[in-house]
Amino acid sequence: MNMFSSCMITALVILTLPIIMSSTKLYKNKLYPYYVKTATSYAFMISMIPTMMFIYSGQETIISNWHWMTIQTMKLSMSFKLDYFSMIFVPVALFVTWSIMEFSMWYMHSDPYINRFFKYLLLFLITMMVLVTANNMFQLFIGWEGVGIMSFLLIGWWYGRTDANTAALQAVLYNRIGDVGFIMTMAWFLLNLNTWDLQQIFITTNDNFNLPLLGLLLAATGKSAQFGLHPWLPSAMEGPTPVSALLHSSTMVVAGVFLLIRFHPLMEHNQTIQTLTLCLGAITTLFTAICALTQNDIKKIVAFSTSSQLGLMMVTIGINQPYLAFLHICTHAFFKAMLFMCSGSVIHSLNDEQDIRKMGGLFKVLPFTTTSLIIGSLALTGMPFLTGFYSKDLIIESANTSNTNAWALLITLVATSLTAAYSTRIMFFTLLGQPRFSPMILINENNPLLINSIKRLLIGSVFAGYIISHSITPTTIPQMTMPHYLKMTALAVTTLGFILALELNLTTQGLKFNYPSNYFKFSSLLGYYPTIMHRLTPKTSLTISQKSASMLLDSIWLENILPKSISYFQMKSSTLISNQKGLIKLYFLSFMLTMILSLLILNYHG
Amino acid sequence: MSMVYINIFLAFILSLMGMLVYRSHLMSSLLCLEGMMLSLFVMMSVTILNNHLTLASMMPIVLLVFAACEAALGLSLLVMVSNTYGTDYVQNLNLLQC
Repeated sequence: MNMFSSCMITALVILTLPIIMSSTKLYKNKLYPYYVKTATSYAFMISMIPTMMFIYSGQETIISNWHWMTIQTMKLSMSFKLDYFSMIFVPVALFVTWSIMEFSMWYMHSDPYINRFFKYLLLFLITMMVLVTANNMFQLFIGWEGVGIMSFLLIGWWYGRTDANTAALQAVLYNRIGDVGFIMTMAWFLLNLNTWDLQQIFITTNDNFNLPLLGLLLAATGKSAQFGLHPWLPSAMEGPTPVSALLHSSTMVVAGVFLLIRFHPLMEHNQTIQTLTLCLGAITTLFTAICALTQNDIKKIVAFSTSSQLGLMMVTIGINQPYLAFLHICTHAFFKAMLFMCSGSVIHSLNDEQDIRKMGGLFKVLPFTTTSLIIGSLALTGMPFLTGFYSKDLIIESANTSNTNAWALLITLVATSLTAAYSTRIMFFTLLGQPRFSPMILINENNPLLINSIKRLLIGSVFAGYIISHSITPTTIPQMTMPHYLKMTALAVTTLGFILALELNLTTQGLKFNYPSNYFKFSSLLGYYPTIMHRLTPKTSLTISQKSASMLLDSIWLENILPKSISYFQMKSSTLISNQKGLIKLYFLSFMLTMILSLLILNYHG
Repeated sequence: MSMVYINIFLAFILSLMGMLVYRSHLMSSLLCLEGMMLSLFVMMSVTILNNHLTLASMMPIVLLVFAACEAALGLSLLVMVSNTYGTDYVQNLNLLQC
């Protein structure tokens, strides 16, 4: 029984070894990426041991290592919580990261700073592990901030490019807004429950958990790119493809959802927060699916697909199924990372071409990438008995048979069919048809680094759903009986999306593109959200500050309030109501005549 | 009524006529306005001094102050008209409105 904690600590320490080695000569070595990849694979294999032990015996552990400080009555220590969620997520994350590191050895092999890249990836992985295994909110916050910082550094990897810097800054700012919610929750727990430990929070009963749960919802909105704080995720595609595959599909963006899953005992009894989560997730999934329909950059389509799936996870939390959401996190990591890696393979093969309008006909040229792209898309849309089916279909079934908001449910179903639509769009434009790229490129995908990494994730995409869902301990009881039309809903809308998208693409293939309609403009400009929010708010605040600083005292108070306003008003009203013609002599003469006449009459009267 | 009053009253009537009947220059009506103010001032001072209305002795001064203000206003209007048209002919005020 001692092997549990020692194996886990060993796995985590193995991960930190290359970071420690970075101050030695090993870092300048050309083999450093290989060392990092091997360290990750060893950590994965060692962490499988505690996971197997957990699956077999249901043993959970809390490792409380080091007492840091005690602030009056609150004790802060470094503690790791190895329960159902962290024990299953850690091997999945390590497996996906292993494949991504092998992939980035191929993708970034011509980069002069590749050692630093791997160090950043490893640092990110370590902070993600810290986040996932944290037992108190302080450690979670350390991991939370850590993944945010590493995301900033990695998105802005090619820092000579303005767009990359803007995107990195955008990511940090939007995450910061979410962090405000997190800190509010921490403050509330500190004030009312005198602790930051998860165990003590769950034991203490309190009437109203609305405020801290709202803070957690805000934090999840920021980190997981829900509607309102979502524009950073498509902009984050400025980073290299391995970064997109690791951070913005499998690991970092699920941190927000993971936080809500961690706090599910508090959310179980709070109907308000559940409804808020449900509606927020439903809006997110539909909005981002609509935006994904008309994008032309392959990475942006996959980014919006990630955003849509994150909304689906929030919907799952909103119908009080945290375990299903967690299952979706684990299965989603496989096929989303693989989709990103396939798009990276396509991009690199076409000499850094990211626009799907300039791809095509890769079906025969890149057979392995084609295979994995198609399997990944099928898994994403929930093809029966691939990976996505085990989580996504269960989610749709639970949502259909639960007493929930019908509007949110309808939106989720529409978004599910749109998922199939844009997946068809990717496959149609990238793989099928005649080539639309320049024929002067040598296309070769025959590199073992690339093939092996995608192959591992391919096997994972096909089998992992089955393996995971049949190995885990049963948690909430899935709905067993439902009418057949509800059971077939997910499959039906997905098939509808596929067929519709395929027909539309085939029909309009040769037609000329006229003026875009209003709906097209809405979708391709991301619902005008970045245009409005990124320009209107700063412009308003700058205008207010300029006006109040320069015009408030001088121009308005001293000049305009009395003198100029009076003269302006008088002039306006006199030009409005006067109908004189300026015949002064006439007026004076008539006045004189009237006076003389009146004097004469009054004098000679009587 | 003694002779003084009739004299000054005549001066006032003359200035009034001069103001109401003028040919082309706006300046002449302003000048006659000043003449009216002057005759009023003299009449007021003579009346007050003759009838020993001591407490009303400040009224001519007040009248002078207000006459000055009004003269300034009239002159500013004249200057505005003259700035726009170059001369102070009255017929200018009936030309194109702008």
